[in-house]
Amino acid sequence: MKKIVVSLLLIAGLVSSCGKKTEEAKTLDLAALKGSTLNILAWEGYADASFTKAFEEKYGVTVKGTYFGSSDELVSKLQSGGGSSYDVITPSSDVAGYIVESGLVEPIDESQIAAWKSLSPVLVGMKDVQKDGKTYGMPFTWGPDYLIYDADVIKETPTSWDLFMDPKYKGKIALYDDISTIYLAAQMLGYDKTDQSVLYNMTEEQLAACKAKLVAMKPQVRKNWASAGELDNLFKNKEIVAAVGWPLTPANLNKQGMNIKSVIPKEGATGWIDRLMIVKDAKNKQLAQLWLDYVSSPKVMAKVAEFTQYYVSNPEANALLTPETQKLMGVASMDSMFKTLNFWQPVKNRKRYNEIWSEVKNQ
Amino acid sequence: MKKANKYFLLTPLLLWLFLFLVLPYCFILTQSVLTTDDFGKVIYHFNLDSYIKIFTNPLYYETLTRTFIYAIIVALVCILLSLPLAYFIAFKVQKHKSFYYTLIVLPFWMSYIVRAYAWKIILGEQGIFNSSLMNLGIIDKPLRFVLYSDFSVILCLIYIFLPFVCIPIYTSFEQISKSLVEASKDLGANSWKTFWKVIFPLILPGVISGGTLALVLTLGDFLAASLLGGPNTLFISNIVQNLFGTSNDKPLGSAVGVVLLVLVFLLLEFSSRYEKKHETQ
Repeated sequence: MKKIVVSLLLIAGLVSSCGKKTEEAKTLDLAALKGSTLNILAWEGYADASFTKAFEEKYGVTVKGTYFGSSDELVSKLQSGGGSSYDVITPSSDVAGYIVESGLVEPIDESQIAAWKSLSPVLVGMKDVQKDGKTYGMPFTWGPDYLIYDADVIKETPTSWDLFMDPKYKGKIALYDDISTIYLAAQMLGYDKTDQSVLYNMTEEQLAACKAKLVAMKPQVRKNWASAGELDNLFKNKEIVAAVGWPLTPANLNKQGMNIKSVIPKEGATGWIDRLMIVKDAKNKQLAQLWLDYVSSPKVMAKVAEFTQYYVSNPEANALLTPETQKLMGVASMDSMFKTLNFWQPVKNRKRYNEIWSEVKNQ
Repeated sequence: MKKANKYFLLTPLLLWLFLFLVLPYCFILTQSVLTTDDFGKVIYHFNLDSYIKIFTNPLYYETLTRTFIYAIIVALVCILLSLPLAYFIAFKVQKHKSFYYTLIVLPFWMSYIVRAYAWKIILGEQGIFNSSLMNLGIIDKPLRFVLYSDFSVILCLIYIFLPFVCIPIYTSFEQISKSLVEASKDLGANSWKTFWKVIFPLILPGVISGGTLALVLTLGDFLAASLLGGPNTLFISNIVQNLFGTSNDKPLGSAVGVVLLVLVFLLLEFSSRYEKKHETQ
């Protein structure tokens, strides 16, 4: 009996799909989306009204951004059941592969992303977010961990991270409260001169040397910042004059009339590649897919770049930036920057790295 | 029927305690003897590594000790500040007693985070504290140790937990019969002697319960340290928060939690015994 019912249903389904009702079904679905909320769990700046508003108006939905301050925070939120609360996440290159491997995200449908073909082939071709022939992440942005400084105080462009050791700036430096600060110490020690991946696979001796370096730096440090907003405030209140940070900080502060500059010192800098991913068991999978499609367009990508001053994955966006932003971001030299940055990779012994970072604070 | 009724009334409480106290404790206890993979996924493999780590890696036992010392400082300063304040309201204020009492409770009406942030504004390089001192010509460079240091964290904790200590002490002052104080004075004791020989033994239970409260709350606080702490500031709760968040090592975080829990239980047990001893005397 059951079999008969099922086959009848199947036949009915076939007949109805022959009726070319797909167009109608799609519009119906869009109507159903109206009033729903797209929840984005992202790095700061990735859900700004300057580019979410048009999406909200187009589909009659609300975009709600929740910010995370470190890759570990994101992973921890996802693992403790964040899937039901968030639809889209923006992991960086250090944990993206792990998130895919752990089955925390859904594969994305490239055919539904209009500008997929115009996205940077280098970024699209990266293997860490591909599994069993499926793609799990859409390249979004990338950028460096700059040496950021208050150009009103530090008149000469710094050339080396050793600025952080200069007694002249005692108590005037801020570091990122994250294991990436250990990568920075390793770069200062020259560990990645021949092989970039050394930073992410350090031995216990190398970690001890990094720890000693960071402990020596401590008298220089005013505060370890935990969010970009906190770093902005430290600069604004003149608590610090230099820090390691993202392009978002000078972008924000210079809008408020400050003179904050950023530079990649001679030892090099680390960087990150952020993707958009759809969370497994997301409540609004369809809306999430529409968000990816929307963001991929050069126009929206340009708005993201205007706000964050991060490099975006759609090169067609660059031409749409104001000449001022193009100059500030150094769009002309972005390809050479991409080659020099040491992009965050998965750290196998992440637990130990985190422990070392806590030990630095305890010294 | 009557007896059954009594237990029936208890069920919401028992259910609450079971769901939100007993179950989570069991869960934490279980998790503390498990382990994780490299990215923090909990693996069901019994071991005591987390506990061994806490007692062998200085990061954990030193932080635990330091937090305890800070908690004792916070409790002691809160007690010292509360004694004259509560004494004043209980004995010296004749009119509008409730007004003064409200002043103590008033900070509770504001969110903790707002109050902690306020200290950033007060103590900052360009904050009210430094700029006033500079305008008065007392200092010529802003004092930097007052913010983003252990000092600012302890200051904030004292400020936040002061009402918790002051209220029980005030209550015990209120319960003292005025005639006892008068009798002491009639018998020739001066104010100092009256306070230490007559009043203080009577308010000791209030002092102990208030102090214990401040101590335990400090042990569990991580917000003050993360908002106002400097590069050296690390409280045990920061480590727990870190282990559950950033470091994503839930078994170790649970183990630290269990150790902390045992210490707090011992402390509460000790202080309630002490309190009882004094009540019977």
